[in-house]
Amino acid sequence: MNRWSVTCALAILFTGLWPTQVQGEDARQIVTEALNRARSKSEHYEGTLEVMNPKQKVSTKRWIYDRLGAYGDSKAVLRFEAPAEVKDVALLMINHPDRASDQWMWIPAEERDRRIALQDRSTRFFGTDFSFEDLEERDVDQYSYTLVGEDNLDGVACWKIESRPRKGKSSQYTSSFWWIRKDNYVITRLDNYDKEKLVRRINYKDIKLIGGIWTALTAEVAETQRNSRTLLKLDKVEYNLAMKDTAFSREALRR
Amino acid sequence: MILLRLISWQYIRKHRLRTLFTIAAVVLGAGTFVGMHSAGVAVLSAFNDTVDHIAGKAQLQITAGDSGFPEEVLGRIQSVPEVATAVPLIEAVVQSTKKGEGNLLVLGVDMTGDRSIRDYDLDSGEDDIVDDPLVFLAQPDSLIVSADFAQRNRLSVDSKLPMDTMEGEKQFTVRGIMRSAGLGSVFGGNLGIMDLYAAQKVFGRGRRFDRVEVRLAPGLSIDQGRAALRQALGSGFQVDTPATRGHQFESLMQVYSVSVNIFSLFALFTGLFIIYNAFNIAVTQRRTEIGILRALGATRRQILALFLGEGVILGLVGSALGILFGMFLARATSGYVSDVMQALYGMGARAQDVTLSRGFMVAAVILGTATSVIGAILPARNASRVDPVKALQRGQYQVLSAGENRNRRIVAAIFALSAIACAALGRSHGLFYVSYLSFIIAALLLVPALSLWMSRMLRPVLRKVRPVEGVLAADSLIQAPRRTSATVAALMLSLGLIVSIGGISRSSYNSIAQWIDTAFNPDLFVSASQNLVEHSFRFPDSMTRALSSLDGVADVGRMRGNKISVKGASVVLYALDIEKVAAHTRERSIVAGDFDRMNRLTAEGKGAIISENYELLQHAAMGDILPIPSPSGFVNLPVVGIVRDYTNQSGTIFIDYSVYQRYWEDPTVDIFEVYAKPGTPLEDLKTRIQAQFPEQHRMFVYLNREVKNRVLSNSNQFLGLTYIQIFIAVLVAVLGVANNLSISITDRRREFGILRAIGALGLQIRGSIWCEALTIAFLGVALGMAFGALDLFYELGLVRNDYAGLTLDYQFPFGMALTVIPVILVAAWLASIASSESAARSSLREALEYE
Repeated sequence: MNRWSVTCALAILFTGLWPTQVQGEDARQIVTEALNRARSKSEHYEGTLEVMNPKQKVSTKRWIYDRLGAYGDSKAVLRFEAPAEVKDVALLMINHPDRASDQWMWIPAEERDRRIALQDRSTRFFGTDFSFEDLEERDVDQYSYTLVGEDNLDGVACWKIESRPRKGKSSQYTSSFWWIRKDNYVITRLDNYDKEKLVRRINYKDIKLIGGIWTALTAEVAETQRNSRTLLKLDKVEYNLAMKDTAFSREALRR
Repeated sequence: MILLRLISWQYIRKHRLRTLFTIAAVVLGAGTFVGMHSAGVAVLSAFNDTVDHIAGKAQLQITAGDSGFPEEVLGRIQSVPEVATAVPLIEAVVQSTKKGEGNLLVLGVDMTGDRSIRDYDLDSGEDDIVDDPLVFLAQPDSLIVSADFAQRNRLSVDSKLPMDTMEGEKQFTVRGIMRSAGLGSVFGGNLGIMDLYAAQKVFGRGRRFDRVEVRLAPGLSIDQGRAALRQALGSGFQVDTPATRGHQFESLMQVYSVSVNIFSLFALFTGLFIIYNAFNIAVTQRRTEIGILRALGATRRQILALFLGEGVILGLVGSALGILFGMFLARATSGYVSDVMQALYGMGARAQDVTLSRGFMVAAVILGTATSVIGAILPARNASRVDPVKALQRGQYQVLSAGENRNRRIVAAIFALSAIACAALGRSHGLFYVSYLSFIIAALLLVPALSLWMSRMLRPVLRKVRPVEGVLAADSLIQAPRRTSATVAALMLSLGLIVSIGGISRSSYNSIAQWIDTAFNPDLFVSASQNLVEHSFRFPDSMTRALSSLDGVADVGRMRGNKISVKGASVVLYALDIEKVAAHTRERSIVAGDFDRMNRLTAEGKGAIISENYELLQHAAMGDILPIPSPSGFVNLPVVGIVRDYTNQSGTIFIDYSVYQRYWEDPTVDIFEVYAKPGTPLEDLKTRIQAQFPEQHRMFVYLNREVKNRVLSNSNQFLGLTYIQIFIAVLVAVLGVANNLSISITDRRREFGILRAIGALGLQIRGSIWCEALTIAFLGVALGMAFGALDLFYELGLVRNDYAGLTLDYQFPFGMALTVIPVILVAAWLASIASSESAARSSLREALEYE
């Protein structure tokens, strides 16, 4: 079974990759290696999200993120801490290797959880520049990869790889371009296209080695046609912590 | 054309006032038709727009009546392979507490998935209608409003908007503003959007959705999708296109359309007589002119064409002005029509803009011109028969229609017999309409004879009251029967319409009052909806026990209304505690079946009771099996009884509340019927009920008499539409009298001159005209009352057979008749002032010059 899942674009650069030289690789091998190096049994971080909308109004949110499990078969809980209007709103994501993830949201003011009706995956994730599809963990087999060349990004040599969804795989993007650093296999940029039009650009910065995994502590997403920008900063990142499976259930969301 | 310019134009210029009255008759007829219909069309179109915009890209809507269905059903729908997107919806109309804003349509939507169905901001090209979608979801008081609504109420993001909810008046926070185009334009812009789950709580829906809207997978037809969904969901769900809701509303508007058609017809008929009168007298006055034309070589056909041409021109001018008047009328009445539909059926839409369709404009021109031409035909024919020799001889008068009265009376008698025979023969729709038409024709044909006969009868009375003026007035009427009868016919039609409308109002009022006393008679009603007909808000069934345990409460019955579709017809299903209802409604009117048996079987879940109008409109009969759709599948119940009931215009089915619980699994109640123990002070009990449920802020406790007043006021509100028609009818009547007198004084100028020459005072001339006006009004009133009394019989038949299947007891509107009589007499007198002044001031020299 050669089934490696790809994390969502958001998650990719929350984790880093070991700088191991891979000889004579093709594009698919590079991507697989990059993802392989970013694997962990669990993950925890505190995130700060800054969204600048097209009117240049900035809103800031803080959340705590916990993930248990490997790519494609993981469970994650995202709990908002600030601002006060969204405090304790929580999101449970259960990722599946073969289908779209299930997501529930806990709204304290309504005292109930609700299933997120994720039928249009191109919908933006709660006003950020990420789409729900960007948050999904994707099966590496469902995409084809082409090494289109090499590029220097911020003075660092990178492979530039194009991925396209295979037939039968639905996606809002017709193609994506990945910049993967040659020295440590960290993804530093991801451009998502709809035909010839650049829809989203994600830049990964502030890369640190945490718990043996190269981790981008800052991800900047720009939705080019909206003139909006989202900045995600990670803090207190930890990997491979002991986490209980019961903490990733609808009941646990109510805590 | 040359004749029209040289002859007709000169005549029109000379008799501007009369021409104006003639044109006004067309204006009113055509304008009423256009205006009232356009108002109806605007409301219907606004409703369809609302349905379209709310539906967005949805191809199918899934409902299970008003009760909605549990949330779990959504998962079943989404798992159907043919479904691409399925989103739930809650829809409620709430009272906005903003002054002058009326109702607000609130949609509860799941913003995380709803945009695949609906566009929230079509024009802006961006989707930032909400500043922060997460805050919108996290705070249940979040609301999006349209830009129009926000502007009208000076609202901006973060403004507070108070609204009625199940928890009483609550402050909502505006967290988004959408453009007024597209979805934002529905319901006249009075649209609010909130989160689906917050809406469930606010509107007491529990964990249920009102409906689910579906987009099918690409390449599938509507029929394929519908079939797949029906198979997956079972029989209790309705899977329809969004347009179906528009069709339901259209069928409810049908009553309005039919009444508008009848009124327009009456208005045009009235106008016809006014026009006929004007042309008739014009022919008489212009006979010398016609004689000269004939002597100069004009053919009969040319004379006929001349008068018909005048008819066409007046008709065209009148129609054009009628369209403008209609526009004004439509704008003035569309809001009212919408409010009435909302109050009566809980369905409505505010028409933002009223536009006249090309079809209506063409119809108005055709109707107006045709009326004018038909009114001119007989006078034009008479004009073409003028003998030039007699016309040019001084003092000669040519009788053009000798013997006509006798023939008319014979034809009238034949039509009267036909009316009686058809009415007596049975309940067939065709015979009923033949009878109605025969009656109207017979009545119109008899007007000249009756006017003449009554004028003769009145002559001695008038002589006794005013020896000079009275006799002059009576003689004027007797000598010009055709002129008199045309005006009397116009008045008769107008007043007849007023009487029949008033009669329907009185009959409805009394029948409904009696129904409330015998069949809808608890001491107190505890309702979640202010107007008792909307099902947006509901109580939990758990309140029943708490209500029953209150001191002074003898019994509590539950009512749960639900709009459903049975055999393609939209009807209302009422779930009641049948045993309790039966114990208190022994006096109710039963149409078929045994009272005890029907209630026992229905209470046991072995049958259903239907209303009389359901029986008539849906052609149901005792023993028929009703396939009642429920979320658990069809509930097949036989009809075990038929009762007279006025709850719903399309028909009502009554089942036991326990059956409803079993199949609908909807533990909610719209109205609790509370029966008090004898001697319990009801006002005190009302206060205690309100105090018992402080958490139920949205609770309306009504005494029986308050509900009675409310229901009757609803009934009157619908009939209030007809008061606009009454106003126009009075206007037409006044116009007729004024026109008649204007013609009369012109016709009698020589007579007035001679009277002045032999010493008559201006006061006497004036008095004579007043007497004539009052006598014409009296004749019109007398015949109008008689005509209206019979017309009411037919109108009640229409209400029963075609409008609503409702049997209303015949009640002549004496109160309205007594009010209308002085109104018409005073109006006639006022209408005569200008003419009487003109006659009183006429000099002998002018009179002789004229002659």
